[in-house]
Amino acid sequence: MSIDEDMAQLELIAKRLEEPNVPFEETIRLFEEGTAVAKRIRTQLNEAKLRIRRAVENAQGVLSLEEFDLE
Amino acid sequence: MSEIHVFSVSELNRAAKATLEQALGNLWVRGEISNLAVASSGHAYFTLVDGTSEISAVRFRSRLPLPVTELTDGVEVLVYGRLTIYEPRGRYQLVVTAIQPAGLGAQQIAFEQLKAKLHQEGLFDPGHKLPLPTFPRRVGVVTSPTGAALRDIVSVLERRWPLVELILLPASVQGAGAAAEVVDALDRAVRFRVEGAPLDVVIVTRGGGSAEDLSPFNDERVARALHACSIPTISAVGHEIDLTIADLVADRRAPTPSSAAELLAPDREEIAARALSVARSVAHRAHASLRSADERLHRHIQSYVLRVPLRRTELLDQRLDHSVGSLCRGLGGRWSETATALAAHAQTIDLSDPHRPLERGYSLTFVQGNASPLRDSTGVQRGATIETRLWRGKLGSEVKEVDQADVHR
Repeated sequence: MSIDEDMAQLELIAKRLEEPNVPFEETIRLFEEGTAVAKRIRTQLNEAKLRIRRAVENAQGVLSLEEFDLE
Repeated sequence: MSEIHVFSVSELNRAAKATLEQALGNLWVRGEISNLAVASSGHAYFTLVDGTSEISAVRFRSRLPLPVTELTDGVEVLVYGRLTIYEPRGRYQLVVTAIQPAGLGAQQIAFEQLKAKLHQEGLFDPGHKLPLPTFPRRVGVVTSPTGAALRDIVSVLERRWPLVELILLPASVQGAGAAAEVVDALDRAVRFRVEGAPLDVVIVTRGGGSAEDLSPFNDERVARALHACSIPTISAVGHEIDLTIADLVADRRAPTPSSAAELLAPDREEIAARALSVARSVAHRAHASLRSADERLHRHIQSYVLRVPLRRTELLDQRLDHSVGSLCRGLGGRWSETATALAAHAQTIDLSDPHRPLERGYSLTFVQGNASPLRDSTGVQRGATIETRLWRGKLGSEVKEVDQADVHR
């Protein structure tokens, strides 16, 4: 899951919980899922590392990527 | 027979000067500087040549709008001045009041002409501009691999939003051939697929430089390639004051490479704060609904089955005292502000954990393979295997008796 999907998911959970008469088990499930999603968002924001690659094109016009070290 | 008028030398020079000034007056001349000499007075004397002819020129110090050091022999210039005759020597010369490099002037004219043309063709049309993605993942950067622009973008993204992959599309960004290289790189950006997915956005960028350095970004081919680009483009060329044709055509203009990186993606602090606020509302909602369920249950138990020794207030106090719940740990990161905000709200959020009643001795019972806890013995078969979830651990049991008496109603 990417961060935008996780954010959308978290917002969906919040919205669902605002509806009246959500069953008890559903509330538990939503809370647990919300917690897991929030944790995943935290991990992504915290641990992401910028990756840089360089596009190269061969004589046949085929594009590929190679690692690029900025120095 | 009338007398022939014989001029004195000074009279002749004066008459010629008057005629010349009247006939030509102030004018622009293009030529190349040679024999430049700056007198101690600060006046600059030079000759303006064009290969077949020459004319003397002087620029008096008091009139100099530009420093003399900008003039050197061999530079082609546009000068504005008055054609006159220096009477004591009978030499005609140009008294210069304004001077500028001819190259710049020509470039400026070409810029304005191209801008007008492309504007008319609709290349700057706001309706044609693509919106930027909110959370880009694959970002193309058309620039020099060794330039300051790339370093600036990388350093901003590392701090604010390292959740992207940068795809460098190398192109020289100044000198002959740069425009063609930028066009090629843009073409690659459009064709490129990273694990099957196209790029989300492409930045065309370079750092500050002279007008000549930035000229590839005023090239018509670059303008047309940007306009034709099927993925959103950001142009970030030079400094704030440098407005190029590329800036006008691109979907967004950033005044500098660093600000392109800021424009490109959100700040992770911001997103962390937003996630926290949504998670908080999840927690509060869950808490409210669970508390009302818990209170109903508690009333039933007190009236029918047990006498709970602790008063409600004491129970609530205990719950408030409990340390940071899993949700809070989930969001507490290494960003100081988020952590501080969390600490302040930790206790509130903790209230909502539905597992808290288990700590007080309640339990959840499930028929094996069933996701919802049991609320009713109806339908449970003798001999069925059930699972009971306690505050710590689980129990597996087999049902020996099923009593369908409705205790709580």
